[in-house]
Formats: sequence, structure tokens, C-alpha cells
Amino acid sequence: MAGFEQSTLNGLMMGSLYGLIALGLSLVFGVMKIINFAHGALLMVGMFTAYWLWVFTNLNPYLLILLSVPILFFFGYYVQHFLVNPLLRKERGKKAHSVILMTSGLVLVLENLALFAFGPNYRMARTVVSGTTFKLGEIMVSQPRFYAALISIVAIIGLHLFLTRTDMGKAIRATGQDREAARLMGIDDFKIYKIAFGIGMACLGVAGNLLFPFYYVQPAVGPFFEIRSFVIVVLGGIGSLGGSLVGGLIIGLIESVGAQFVSAVWTELIIMILFIAMLLVKPSGLLGRQRE
Amino acid sequence: MKKRASMIVVLSALGILAVLAFPLVFDDPYLIQVAIMVMLFGYLSSAWNIIGGMGGQLALGHAAFVGLGAYTSTLLYLNFHVSPWIGMFAGGLVAAALSVIVGYPTFKLRGPYFVMATVAVGEAIRIIFQNTQKMFGMEIRGARGLLIPLAAARDRLWAFQFTEKSGYYYTILGFLVVILLVARWIERSKLGYQLAAVRDDEDGAEALGVDTTRAKLTAAALSGFFAALGGTFYAQFLSFIDPMGIMGAQLSNELALIAIIGGEGTVWGPVLGALILVPVSEITRTYLGSTFLGVHLVAYGAILMLVIMYMPQGMIRPLRTLLRKFTAPAASPARIGVGTEDGPARRSQA
Repeated sequence: MAGFEQSTLNGLMMGSLYGLIALGLSLVFGVMKIINFAHGALLMVGMFTAYWLWVFTNLNPYLLILLSVPILFFFGYYVQHFLVNPLLRKERGKKAHSVILMTSGLVLVLENLALFAFGPNYRMARTVVSGTTFKLGEIMVSQPRFYAALISIVAIIGLHLFLTRTDMGKAIRATGQDREAARLMGIDDFKIYKIAFGIGMACLGVAGNLLFPFYYVQPAVGPFFEIRSFVIVVLGGIGSLGGSLVGGLIIGLIESVGAQFVSAVWTELIIMILFIAMLLVKPSGLLGRQRE
Repeated sequence: MKKRASMIVVLSALGILAVLAFPLVFDDPYLIQVAIMVMLFGYLSSAWNIIGGMGGQLALGHAAFVGLGAYTSTLLYLNFHVSPWIGMFAGGLVAAALSVIVGYPTFKLRGPYFVMATVAVGEAIRIIFQNTQKMFGMEIRGARGLLIPLAAARDRLWAFQFTEKSGYYYTILGFLVVILLVARWIERSKLGYQLAAVRDDEDGAEALGVDTTRAKLTAAALSGFFAALGGTFYAQFLSFIDPMGIMGAQLSNELALIAIIGGEGTVWGPVLGALILVPVSEITRTYLGSTFLGVHLVAYGAILMLVIMYMPQGMIRPLRTLLRKFTAPAASPARIGVGTEDGPARRSQA
């Protein structure tokens, strides 16, 4: 029985982190109505940033969040400025195919630059928290996973407060709801896009710091989390922060509890089928509002 | 105008002659290999283009069809000694059936939702193949893949195998000619106009009485069918198939990217895209791949981003303008840019 509780807790912890990672995608998707196919590769950038910051400073990985968040924010801000905004300007009102392709091109460049610069090796960081555990009753809890879950939830709540309570947050949501109306209210929509993409990247910066103490860092680490994020975003509802968390928890539970009964590859298939079913039956997601 | 027409005839004749004589003139197996890959990707990308480009449905799971074709013909050959020349049509029918079954529900989705659904279906099929050892009582060996053994010399042609690389060269050339004729036929048929309407404004097309679902399903079936035939060729050419290589997301993306860089929705776009991208990737892989890991894909990605940024309609548009200038220097400038593909492009850039 302890095995079941153990895997449930593991699923919930990993699920919260998935939720945070998916949040970045959901925000960009919700505000700009584009899919960012580079989300996984950008998480890889976040992980390498966190990893190298740690290698050079040897500080506590969680303290380094303060450094990697601004770095990643500006990275995202300028990706939007140089690569995505020009495309959005060109194809006002048209289908946003070219953004999908632009981000696929960005994946090739980022992943292979990382491969070129850092090589294909799997890097495991031995931080102060890596490999440490504590006991919660009968269950052994991995410390880095526990902190990752905790900080993820704090970050999600923090972002929720930012989006609902501050003027900037309200401007971002307004742009997502009705861009034309937002522009009429004096909101600079392209500037909002840059900030939204920056915030999405900042989430990945936090996630990178949370991940590397217990997860390998490698140039091709992205696609796994990217597919996860797509599933979670659709499951929870595009643009919904709570939805991302709920979706993340569901996926985390399926993969860890499911692995108790069937092999890991078949849980992948279960997740894919759930994804397809969700797209077909209720594409607005569990917590998403029906639009259009 | 007469002068221009004769110019085009001369140019085309020279082009056809060059393509036919290529393996005879260049004895280098590496060059022929690159040429075969160019035509194979041109072919596969043209198959994608039927639904992806002409119909504007950004499907990113086409490797599943390529893989199904490859697996069907290979399994029929290995287990029942059916010639892959026949088996490939079985594979084509399987893929066409699957694309209709998958297409029926997913075509109701729009934009990003459709794209994600195609990615998910493609991935699901790959996961199934990668983790199944036996399917319908036949060995498929999961992730380890299947090897196609060399046939005895007298059975080789029947087994879709060639001793010389040039055999594969002329075969894929034939495939390519067929798909280009099909694409040209679709473009000028009722289906082609319906697809163009769907691509430009789906709601508008529906309001005008176009049966958009039917048009999309027909295009998807054709697209899946031809992609599967290419899968059989791919399998025979490599004499090895595995789910990651022939059904992976990377192949799916590549097929779409080649068509889009060349010029999606046009007959020649995918061929042009393959002509540009395949040699870039082959040559950089050969010369840089071993010393500088990943550099060739950085170049590939960078080219892709530049084309999308500055030539969103693909490279065929500037090339066409150039060709017109070359073949008809006296033509009035007003003629340039007036065409079925050029019209909407102009507007969107304004």
C-alpha cells in the first residue's frame, strides 16, 4: 500500500512542476493564440542557464532563481521582439502557420547550438539538495522534488495574483480576450506580447532551476516536456492558470500511478489517447471557458 | 509571347535531359544518393502538400503514413512473399483509410487544435509500433526495426531491389513525375478549387456551398496514399525500417517544412524546397557532422527562419518572378505578380 501512496505523492509533485512548465505555454497561447513549438527547447535553455549559473557560482539552486528569471525573461522578450512580432504584424487576421514554423526553426537552432556547445552528454548536477530525502510517515520523499512542487505552486499563485491584481496583468488578460478592444483602450498590444512571452520564459527559468537538481540536463531534453505541456494545456484549458495546475497534476498522477500497473511506454500511449480524446470532445479544456 | 513559349520549351527540354542523364554522367554513388534523397523528399513533401499546402491544413503527423506504407509492404514481403511493387498499393490503401478515419473527427478542429491533434495521432502510432513486437501474428520487432534481406539476383527486380543506385534513381524519378502530374491535375480540378477555397476562407467556402469536409477528406486520402507509396520506396532504398526513423516527429516536420520553404500549395514548391534543403542537410552533415556536432541542423534551422521571415510564400515566388523576367524581358511589369497564388499573397503582405 505504501507503494501506491508513494507513487501518488511522486505524481503530485512532478505534476505541479509540469503545471508550471505548461503555464508558460498556456499564457502565450492564451494571449497571442499561437502555439509555441519551441517551448521544450526554451525549457532546455532554462535548464542550461540554471545549470551553468550553478556551476559558476555554486550557490543554492533555489537562490539562483533570482538570477535566471530576469535572464530568461529578457531572452523571451527579445525572441518575441525579433522573431514572432514581425510575423504577427505581417499576417494580421490570417492563420498563424508561420509562427508555428518559425518556432520549429528556432527549435532546430537552439537544440543544435546546445549540442554543438555542450555536447550530447547527460549532465547530472550534484547540488546540496540532490539525492536527499526525508520521511513523511511511511513514505520517502525526495527533497528536490518536494521543493520543486512547493515552489511551482507558489509561482503559479504568484502569477495568478499578478495577472488579476496588477494593471500590467489586467492589460495582458485584456489583450488575450480582445486585442482590438485592448488597443482602443490604449494598450500597446505588441509590447504586451513581448511581456507575455517574457513571463512565459521566466516560468521556464524557474522550472529549469527546479528541475536540474534531480533531472539530467541535455540538449534534447525538451520534446518530452513539450508534448507533456501541450497535453496539459489542452486538458486544463488554454489560458487558464488553474487549468494548467490541474492538468499537470492529472498527467503526473497518470504517469506515476499508471506505471504501477502497466509499463511506462503504455502510460505514454494513455496520455496521448487522453489528449486526442480531449481535443475531440472538449477542446476548451476542463477549466477553460467556451469561446467563439 | 511566341519567343517566351519557345524559351520555356527549350529550358524544359534541357532540364528533362539533365535529369535523365544525371546518373550516366556522374558516376559518383554519393552524388546519386543525394539526388535520390532530393527526389524522395520532393515526392513525400508533394504528397503532404495535397492536404497541407493546397488545403491549408497544417498536418504534422504525416510520417505515420510514410511508416504505415513502409511497414505494410515490408511485412507483406517478409511474411507472404508479396512483391513490394504490389504491397505498396496495399500500404497506400491502409494509409488512405487511416487518414479518412483520423481526418473525419480532426477536420472539425481549427488552427492550433488541428495541428496538435495531428501531432498526437502521429506520435500515438509511433509509440504503438515502437513497443509492439508482434502485430497480427507478424514480427515487427518494436524499436529494433525490420531488416529487408537482399533478394537473390534473379528475383531482385520483383523484390523492388536494384543492384545499381541508378535503378533507385529512375524509380523515384518516376514516382516524382507521377505525383507532379497528380498535383497539377488536382490544382486544376474541382477539388483543387475547393481546397483553395478552404485554405483561404473555410467559413466562406462552406457558406457558398462547398462541402469542405468532403474536399478535405478526399485530399487527405490522396495525401496519405501517396505518402505511403513513398514509404515503401524509402524502406526498399534503405533496406531497413524502424519506427523512430520512418514514423518519427522529425520526419513529419521535415515534410511540411520542405513544402513550405519551397512554396506550399504550389505544384513545384515541394520539389524546389527539397532541392534547396536536402543537399544543404546532406552536405553539411557529411562535411561538418562528424567534426561539429549539430552544426548542419543549426544551418538548416537558420535558413528556415530566414525564409519564413522574408519569404512567407516560399522561395518559388521570387524564383518565378526571376524566370519571367528571364524568359520575357519585354513583358509589361503589370503581368508580374498576377496569378492564382500571387493574388492573396500580395494582399496579406500589404
